[in-house]
Amino acid sequence: MVISLKDSLKLLGIFIMSCCAVTVCAMFLNYNMDLAELEPQISDGMVRVFYDAQVMTGKVVIAVCGGCLLVTTVILLFFYIRNYINTHKKELGILKALGYSNFKIAGSFWVFGLSVLVGTAAGYGIALTLMPGFYRVQNKEKILPEFSIHFHPLPALCLTVLPAALFALLSVLYSYRKLKTPVLELLREKTTVRVRKKREGKKAGKELPAQKELPFLSELKRSTLGASPALVFFIGFAAFCYSSMMQMAFSMDDLASVFMAAMMIIIGIVLACTSLFLAITSVVNGNKKTIAMLRVFGYSEKACSSSILGGYRPVAYIGFVIGTIYQYMLLKIMVTIVFADVDIVPEYHFDFKAFGIVLVSFAILYELVMWRYTEKLKKVSIKEVMLES
Amino acid sequence: MIRVNNITKSFGNEENKTEVLKGISLTVADEDFVVILGASGSGKSTLLNVMSGLEKPDTGEVLYDDKDITKLSDAGLTEFRKETVGFIFQQYYLLPHLNVDKNVKLGAELIGSRDYKKMLDAVGLGEKLHKYPHELSGGEQQRVSVARALAKKPKVLFLDEPTGALDEATGRMVLDYISSLQKEYHFTIVCVTHNLNIAEMAGTVIRMNSGKVIETYENKQRKTAYEIGW
Repeated sequence: MVISLKDSLKLLGIFIMSCCAVTVCAMFLNYNMDLAELEPQISDGMVRVFYDAQVMTGKVVIAVCGGCLLVTTVILLFFYIRNYINTHKKELGILKALGYSNFKIAGSFWVFGLSVLVGTAAGYGIALTLMPGFYRVQNKEKILPEFSIHFHPLPALCLTVLPAALFALLSVLYSYRKLKTPVLELLREKTTVRVRKKREGKKAGKELPAQKELPFLSELKRSTLGASPALVFFIGFAAFCYSSMMQMAFSMDDLASVFMAAMMIIIGIVLACTSLFLAITSVVNGNKKTIAMLRVFGYSEKACSSSILGGYRPVAYIGFVIGTIYQYMLLKIMVTIVFADVDIVPEYHFDFKAFGIVLVSFAILYELVMWRYTEKLKKVSIKEVMLES
Repeated sequence: MIRVNNITKSFGNEENKTEVLKGISLTVADEDFVVILGASGSGKSTLLNVMSGLEKPDTGEVLYDDKDITKLSDAGLTEFRKETVGFIFQQYYLLPHLNVDKNVKLGAELIGSRDYKKMLDAVGLGEKLHKYPHELSGGEQQRVSVARALAKKPKVLFLDEPTGALDEATGRMVLDYISSLQKEYHFTIVCVTHNLNIAEMAGTVIRMNSGKVIETYENKQRKTAYEIGW
């Protein structure tokens, strides 16, 4: 069949996301389950409040971090499958022409679930390694009685094998839906494009206001953005992850340990870089023909890169702002609701210093990535692009 | 006037070298319709790429009114393409996410032209401004690419197998549009094709084989797109 194990191993983004999600969820889940065994020993008063706060923190982190990363990984998986089908139209068309059913071809997409299995297994392994340190810092004030790490086989299975099976199933179902394209369209590698049509003419007898005519490069910038909402999402998501995780790590000095902060910084950077590189690489690869054509007609390299990549800059900074608001709201809720009865938790205020540092470092990172890809765009060979067609 | 002097071009490395152009020299007069004829692999498309500044030759020169474009930097070549040449390709290469109007604007805006819509009227697509490439037939897409190329008012129009992907009736229609627009706008046409019949429309025919020019002749009487065989 067309899809091999090698194809599955190429899904680096899915591997990294599932690894991060399982690392965080496994640590908190294991901790909460071990904590639950202490419950009969927990007396009322300060210990009970601290215990409840820790349980609630675990639940919030698992729900927010796990849920957010799960949704993102599903979107990423669909993006990969759609991309795979688009770049292998001819092979898939030949299989269909030979008589393979959509379901039979889609069945081979299950291998994409393997990258999730590798990611979740690695994530669980990392979580096990980090657990001793994590348990220590969670109870460094020794408020709770001493307790040790236990291995819980059911959650381990649920966090590794179950997501892999779920993603394998999703891969088959989504590819089955995508393979419903007629054979000839696949064989001719017909491109279907997403275009947002403006309303034209009159509606209900009412004259629509005339649309303002934009310069060509602005129109191109806008249509590049509109052509792939998934890429817009990933660039926004990259900025969101960087902004929220880094600011949270810097602003929760008094709220959590250095261990937690370091973990958040690492996860933030890994997720942001993975999403950003994945999205920008797709933008560049998907627009090679456009870039080649612009250069054939005599547009400068600066104009080419600005029209293809420039449109994503506002998206990135909007993602950054949303990340800032999200982390502020989350910490505020944690402090005012979850830790409401814990005396030792200080009041939380927006950390302008952390915001400034993270914004500047994000701007530097983003502009460096853009510069790197602008250089890559300059190397697009007009002839090679033409020959590919 | 375009003068091509002793152009050579090879592809591949030292051990596996293929010489595609072997010392080509030719002249193209202003406002002429030149057809470069040749079988597949004769080097005609490479010659077109070199003449239009899309590719640099190994040796030789390509002079546009005494300006050698082989000596230009990448930025210089970009400027040259912007000011001097237009392209029409076999595969159209329209931008799929932009409608007809915006695709033609791609060419027009380079020279700050605002009257590009009349070029769409000239190729009979004035009513399809808001259609997207995938909503058009092959012939209509090629007519958009004609309008796009001419919207920047090029001095020289390069055509690479312009009817290669079209049926006879549509092919004739596209050639007729190009030919009548040349009379109106006075640009030079350099067209590479393997279709012998298109050569009957040309003022000058250059035949190529194995990277060399083997014959050059002028047509005493040029035929229209509807008079040639297919």
